[in-house]
Amino acid sequence: MRVLLRVLAPLLGLALAAVGVLLVIEVVAAWVRTPATTGLLVPWPDWRASLEALTWANTPVPAIAIGVAVLGLLLLLVGLLARRHDIALSSPAPEVTVTTSPRVLARLVGRRVRAADGVAAASVTATGRKVSVGAQAWNDAGPELRGSVTSTVDELLDELPLARRPRVAVTVQERKGPR
Amino acid sequence: MTVSMDKSASPEQPVEPPPASGALRRRSRSAVARSSGGDRSLLVLLGLVLLAAGVLVALLAYGVFGTARAGRPLLDPVVVDLLRAQPLVARLVAIAAGLLLLVLGLTRAARSLRPERKPDLVIDRGPTTAITVSSSAAADALAAQAAELPGVGRARARMVGTEDAPALRVWVWLADDADVRDVLEKLHGQVLTSARTSLGLVALPVAVRLELDQSTAGPRVA
Repeated sequence: MRVLLRVLAPLLGLALAAVGVLLVIEVVAAWVRTPATTGLLVPWPDWRASLEALTWANTPVPAIAIGVAVLGLLLLLVGLLARRHDIALSSPAPEVTVTTSPRVLARLVGRRVRAADGVAAASVTATGRKVSVGAQAWNDAGPELRGSVTSTVDELLDELPLARRPRVAVTVQERKGPR
Repeated sequence: MTVSMDKSASPEQPVEPPPASGALRRRSRSAVARSSGGDRSLLVLLGLVLLAAGVLVALLAYGVFGTARAGRPLLDPVVVDLLRAQPLVARLVAIAAGLLLLVLGLTRAARSLRPERKPDLVIDRGPTTAITVSSSAAADALAAQAAELPGVGRARARMVGTEDAPALRVWVWLADDADVRDVLEKLHGQVLTSARTSLGLVALPVAVRLELDQSTAGPRVA
């Protein structure tokens, strides 16, 4: 999303500037060259003729309007969703800000969970608010594995100076087959 | 060294008071990453305009505002007559709108394409001479010190902000066995404090970014 923002923003800025330039050029040209029968860069007399002939209810207009609305919605979503998802850590001093990425937190949790006894594999998704762990248990592991994985994760979160402690959700699936 | 000599040579110069901790906190927060607020507000604004225009035109076309209104041409004769009655005003408004779009679009594009600043550190700004430390020298020295801390695999740093309000952004790659709290304490207590004193800075806000070093452990299945 942020890559899209970095690409779209300058392109949209340049597009706006281009529209502005064309508008100024055409208005000045039409002002100076009277009577203006053709556009200088843009064939606006043709556009004007077709716009005068077209009514709001004619076929391409609603479809184009819906397309423009969808494009606007997409731009809006990119603009709203392209925020940073940093996880804040408590800093040792006011002039120091410490952050990390959700990926780092997920890797830390995943490393700790995979090292635990009875866990065959684990997948971790982390945000600043929630850490979800999906663990695969060996089939000889007992039902108490979910609790032990949860306490492992809790222990790790205690060690990390997180500014806000995320909730922990653990699901355990049993892996079929021999160890 | 040179810094202290200069300071003793001009003792009547008032010492700058350190900025308030709230301002420092704000500066260190904004040093975390390059701000994308301008880009995002451009997209949100354009998106809202396009969404509103599209929805209104679609409603108009489907006759929500009356079938007679939907049957009018896109370039309404009423509008054309209005513009013809006031040609000078219409032209001036159009030219002003075009110039506004041009300036806004170009400044926005230039801002989002411009690389982030790396301000040099001005240690002593005298009337005739000023002592500056180049941004890369200061940042590299600090990164080298940070990389030597126990539990840190490698570190990188760069200066951000402006010359009047510089800040530092440090990336720290933690080793496998690192104690995060300990690393942060040492980074603040040893590296950053000594950098501030040796550079003679009143305050240097810092944004620390923690990363994980590539795991060097052996295979998980032995």
